[in-house]
Amino acid sequence: MRKTMTRVFTIADYEDEEIWLREQHQNGWKLVNMTIPCFYTFESCEPEDVIYRLDFRNMERSEEYMQMLKDFGWEYFDQCMGWLYFRKPAAAVESEDEGELFSDNESRVNLVSHVMKTRLLPIAIIFLCCVIPNFVKFVSGAYVGYAGMFLGILFAVLFVIYVVLLVHCGTKLRRIRNKYRMGTGA
Amino acid sequence: MEDRIKRIYVPMTESGFYILYCLQSPQHGYGISQQVKRMSGGSVVISAGTMYGTLSKMEKDGLIRFYSEEEKRKLYQITDLGREILDTEIRRIERLYKNSKGEDVDA
Repeated sequence: MRKTMTRVFTIADYEDEEIWLREQHQNGWKLVNMTIPCFYTFESCEPEDVIYRLDFRNMERSEEYMQMLKDFGWEYFDQCMGWLYFRKPAAAVESEDEGELFSDNESRVNLVSHVMKTRLLPIAIIFLCCVIPNFVKFVSGAYVGYAGMFLGILFAVLFVIYVVLLVHCGTKLRRIRNKYRMGTGA
Repeated sequence: MEDRIKRIYVPMTESGFYILYCLQSPQHGYGISQQVKRMSGGSVVISAGTMYGTLSKMEKDGLIRFYSEEEKRKLYQITDLGREILDTEIRRIERLYKNSKGEDVDA
């Protein structure tokens, strides 16, 4: 049996997503795949405690990397928008770090910085160069007629979505990064 | 250039030190993690992502080099620069150890 669930996780919510997927598996639902932007397809299975981990590799994914993850006991099963999805049964984990993709804070901080640079920054640039100018045009009444009205509303909606997204992702990613930075003692 | 790299790597992170130490003989990532787990009595565990990231960075900085490939697994080995950094780090740890026992070190 299969079920599809809709759930929105932004680029800053990967740790919450890991917990959610683990809970699903504990309840007997194993993730099969994701469909952009926010649809999760699960397959019913025996309830089991399975650790889920996400790594952001963007488009870079070498054979060496995939082989190494496999050697460390991680099953790769899908990728979605630059994120790779791995899982490993909790029973196979002897120490906490074996259930993590990253065992030191330096590499956890690197992951957050990578996401900020390749995902958050482009969103901010689109916002500044495209959404804001069009929103200003709309407010100043430059769009006329039905088509203009439609475009104007579209940009107004986009403006709101971008503001919410940027504030949410920006603050949350920085919070995650600070959490691990403090742990490094640096 | 080399001075800059020495400044980055000394003092070294615990995972960095163990990885470089193990690469005195050719190894792949998973082999290193097993060896580290064994020699530290299970108290140092390096996970997959950290291992991959550290190996890539050390190779780029010239501390280790590609040795050979076995079934998609890359084996690495320490370079002269890597050995120099490892020796510096070992001397630093020896000094710390002696001082922690209340012993002074010779100039």
